[in-house]
Amino acid sequence: MTITAERLEGARMIRESAAGIADRGDVGRTRKLRFSETGFDRQILKEMCDLGWLGLRLPESDGGSGLGMVEMCALAEELGAAIVPEPLIPAALAVRVLAEPERTAALEGRLVVLPAFQEQAADPDAAPATSVQQGRISGRKLFVPSPRGADAFVVTSREGSFLVRSDAPGLVIEAVTMQDGSHSGTLVFNDAPAEKLPGRLEDGLDDACLATAAYLLGLADAVLERTVAYLKVRKQFGAVIGTFQALQHRCVDLKLQAVLARVSVEDAARIADTNVGIDERRAAVSRAKARASDAALLVARQAVQLHGGIGFTDECDIGLYLRKAMVLAPAFGGSAFHRARFAALTFGDSAEASPAPARTA
Amino acid sequence: MTTSLYRLDDFDALDDEAFRALARAFLKEHYPQDLRNPPKRLHWDEIRCWYMTLSAHGWLAPGWPRTHGGMGLSAAKQLIYMEEFEQFGAARMPDHGIMLLGPLLIRYGSTAQQQEFLPKIISGEHIWCQGYSEPNAGSDLANVQTRAVLDGEHWVVNGQKIWTTLAQDADWIFMLVRTDPAARKQEGISFLLVPMNSPGVTVRPILNLEMQDEFCEVFFDDVRVPRENLVGEINKGWSMAKALLGFERIFLGSPRQSANALERLKVLAQHVGCWTEPVFRDRYARLALDLADHKALYEHFADILRAGGQLGPDISFLKLHQGELYQRITELMLEIGGEAAAGLEPINGNRDLNPAGQFLAARASTIYGGASEVQRNILAKNVLGLPG
Repeated sequence: MTITAERLEGARMIRESAAGIADRGDVGRTRKLRFSETGFDRQILKEMCDLGWLGLRLPESDGGSGLGMVEMCALAEELGAAIVPEPLIPAALAVRVLAEPERTAALEGRLVVLPAFQEQAADPDAAPATSVQQGRISGRKLFVPSPRGADAFVVTSREGSFLVRSDAPGLVIEAVTMQDGSHSGTLVFNDAPAEKLPGRLEDGLDDACLATAAYLLGLADAVLERTVAYLKVRKQFGAVIGTFQALQHRCVDLKLQAVLARVSVEDAARIADTNVGIDERRAAVSRAKARASDAALLVARQAVQLHGGIGFTDECDIGLYLRKAMVLAPAFGGSAFHRARFAALTFGDSAEASPAPARTA
Repeated sequence: MTTSLYRLDDFDALDDEAFRALARAFLKEHYPQDLRNPPKRLHWDEIRCWYMTLSAHGWLAPGWPRTHGGMGLSAAKQLIYMEEFEQFGAARMPDHGIMLLGPLLIRYGSTAQQQEFLPKIISGEHIWCQGYSEPNAGSDLANVQTRAVLDGEHWVVNGQKIWTTLAQDADWIFMLVRTDPAARKQEGISFLLVPMNSPGVTVRPILNLEMQDEFCEVFFDDVRVPRENLVGEINKGWSMAKALLGFERIFLGSPRQSANALERLKVLAQHVGCWTEPVFRDRYARLALDLADHKALYEHFADILRAGGQLGPDISFLKLHQGELYQRITELMLEIGGEAAAGLEPINGNRDLNPAGQFLAARASTIYGGASEVQRNILAKNVLGLPG
């Protein structure tokens, strides 16, 4: 199962085009948008749409680019390397189930639609209790990313996926500020008007999870790159601290985790783009997300340590990476959730000992 | 020469999957059943039959060109050969002549040396051991102190080698000797071929932590070696030996050892009754995920070789991770095995329930082939570009 040279070249071009918006050398824009009203720049999200990123995975017949997870992960990795704040990955999940005219509006960046699926902490797969009767939706959704910037939500329910406008009567949005300066919303629906959508949002969750793993991989690589560069110039005790073996070995251990995250994400992307059984696909996604979540948190917190006192200040950019890792490591399931899901999917017995990975319609 | 279904004039005419099937069939038909997955390194008298079988079918030297009696396999097929042999549980042979000396002689040896030594490796007449490490040249291998001084038409060798695998079974030793004590460390070393039955050679086996005697010390007291036994240029031995450390480096990172250990951890967990216990389950899952990602890392490097590329310094990540993963698996074995895990023999005499043996065997994996600390030094300097 190899990826053709043509596709690798395509992925490389996506990476290059990403550099215009996602500058891994300068995270000043990310810093400025922290703690702002929506937490991201709607104009930049529109530019991402104009580059075709939102519809990357959508079939061409639906106005997308018809590309696979290899390309999506290449893009997400570049976004993570620059810790861009725009919620492209959640928006790309939502757009896959939209109907017209909302789909075109979303693809053109005129309408921001975000997903609301989670009802239990630390379990993105749990079946929803939210229900819809006669076009009115009731229920409660947790951890909705960037809710203040959304015009509408795709909401999962026992009856399928529905579109709910953010100004709909009967919808209350409670937003809390997160460590990275974005917001996370609890959405309470009380007989809010909802439009039935043709697709099931749940079917795209694994892709969004894997893209998040790729984002965390990019983050880990970038923050390590910055840290190693710092070790090459910072002097103490009359020497560049990068000459100290204790620090060299620690950096190697961090790089090893980043390398494992890379092969894990790339492997999962290849598997996701191949016709394999659903369990094999989900196990590969769990593997990648467990590795990338842990690697990103490990590298980012060690980056603080390796920077010393300056690393503990908010003015040092290293903290931006750490806080973003803190927010995204648990998103779409953290490492403990995905280890348990991997075990349940691959060990083949004693499922009673592990949380059942119930994802039912 | 035996006629054999498995002796082909051009293995590369087969596609990779056909070759894989052929290797599998060959092992199934010819490998001695009682030698599968042996719990220790086998001695020559135990493994000789298999060596000679490989020799008789032309399957002994996968990487050598056909003109020298090898199989002439592509990089891709050499990897398949290794994977299938490992997968089948074929024991490792005294393969230093095949894996290390052969390729070195083919590249640097004189025609006379090639004609003298290569056929005898293929025929099993000469079993070779490798004399690189010394008491003061382990991780710091270039610190070789064993001297060779020219006296007329002979080199006179004095010094000591250590960690010489299966020296007690070997007919010959290829060794690094210092021929210019005045030169900079790496530059005064030569590559010498010495018969083990020379007067003045003494072999003393070392009992290792597994209570096995696969390593030896080898002492050289005024050992006289014909002048023509020096390979390549004088004082160029270090760069020759180093140049050969290419392809083989992927073998040290093969996932097979950890994969076998993880299976045995499961068997042990079922035996002691913790297999379904949630805390154990999470720890086992961590190791299973590490193994899965290690396999992906191995495939990443194998892809480079299959595409005809060269391994870079980052191959050290693979060796580093393999050694430490193997150890972590066996450490969990020891922990769940409890009191019974400290027994000298496997639990209930069952080879699959051998936590202590596996735990001790794994201690070596972060030392041989470049200790983990040395791998980290290499990675820090050559991959991360850190100074010093």
